Amino acid sequence: MKLYDYILSPSCYKVRLMAALAGIKLDLRAVDFHPGLEHRGPDLLSLNPAGSIPILEDGDLVLTESSAMLAYIASLSAPEWLGRASAMETAREQQWLAFSSRLTATLGGARLHEMLLRPGDIAALQAGGVASLRELEAGLVEQRLAGQAFLVTDRPTIADIACFPYVALAPDGGVSLDPYPAIRLWSRAIRSLKGFIEMPGIHRLHELKPEPHLEQDEA
Amino acid sequence: MRSDTTGFWTPVALSADLPAGTVIPARMAAGTIALWRSQTGHIAASADRCPHRGMSLSHGFVRGEVLSCIYHGWSYGRAGNCLRIPAHPGLTPPDAIRVVTHDVRDTGGIVWVASGIPAGDPPDLDGFTPLRSLTADADRAALALAAGAQADEDGRLVTNIAGQDLCLLLADQPEGRTLIHVLVRSGSDAAARIAASRSVERLRRMAESASHKGGVQ
Repeated sequence: MKLYDYILSPSCYKVRLMAALAGIKLDLRAVDFHPGLEHRGPDLLSLNPAGSIPILEDGDLVLTESSAMLAYIASLSAPEWLGRASAMETAREQQWLAFSSRLTATLGGARLHEMLLRPGDIAALQAGGVASLRELEAGLVEQRLAGQAFLVTDRPTIADIACFPYVALAPDGGVSLDPYPAIRLWSRAIRSLKGFIEMPGIHRLHELKPEPHLEQDEA
Repeated sequence: MRSDTTGFWTPVALSADLPAGTVIPARMAAGTIALWRSQTGHIAASADRCPHRGMSLSHGFVRGEVLSCIYHGWSYGRAGNCLRIPAHPGLTPPDAIRVVTHDVRDTGGIVWVASGIPAGDPPDLDGFTPLRSLTADADRAALALAAGAQADEDGRLVTNIAGQDLCLLLADQPEGRTLIHVLVRSGSDAAARIAASRSVERLRRMAESASHKGGVQ
């Protein structure tokens, strides 16, 4: 399975993270997204006319939407990551998968503006990001009141992975995560999962590993 | 607002939002602090600045009974003294390396931090139980107007929305924002708690709309 990947892209990270959690090895093909704009070049446009990354290739299957990639990877080797136990789970999963595109448009847009100087109305992007974070926070509060730690049910699903990266990187776009205690606890729960991997800007929980010790003569 | 000048307690977070082994930032009138709880449950509050390179300690991590800086791992105890400098494992850090700490209490499901030296204990919550905390891009007056009730000198506002008693603990934040801790009557069931959470979202919208603000924070 081949992923056209950019290390700093939160959408590409969703796929790398899901594959790591599902125990699937990806063949990573680095794309020169910045400054080369390789995703807008003739070779990648013939693979994905939308000119976006990630792109996932598996045999004849070519996927260009990250939520579809998460569903594919989970269906192949980690079906417990799909919310399929009830009509309500299915609906909630679809709800948050669709919601994740608003995180990309708002928080992701603010991040591209701040990091890569992409044009855009930064105040509107940030205000949209705050509105999305408030909605996510309210949803997580209600899940906690129902005794559930994740977006769909009491175990993580692809919906959590779809929402997590752009939320965790909100500060890159100048949007603070400080006012959202439920999001903070949810982010910790995701970063505590067995098999969790990092990307630049999203670090693992150091306290989960024993304290490293330098030998006296190394110092 | 207050007649006493000796000090007061600020409600900074719900106890449930600060589990063992975590650190979070909390905003006080005087600036940001790092609020943390050790693995065995002891709570502490310190200045949010590592004296080594100025990194925010609230970006750090709690391992066992110490708070460590994310930058170079300098570790601090509850009393604020530096316990360990990883790059110099043989060194006992001098006592002069320390962070300023604040008196902190964990009562009634709320974490309270002292400004100055409060004359007494944090206020009693009179049969209310904490539900959630949220931040409004509106000041205390706008929230009072939306709630139809005034906050007392401790920042405690009791109101009734859609037949449900709610207690809001208000703490002023920088730039005209307000941190709201929402409390419901003890014994409220899950449906009542969800209703209360939604009521306060609505109250926040009303207060922000009256303040003519867009909600950026």
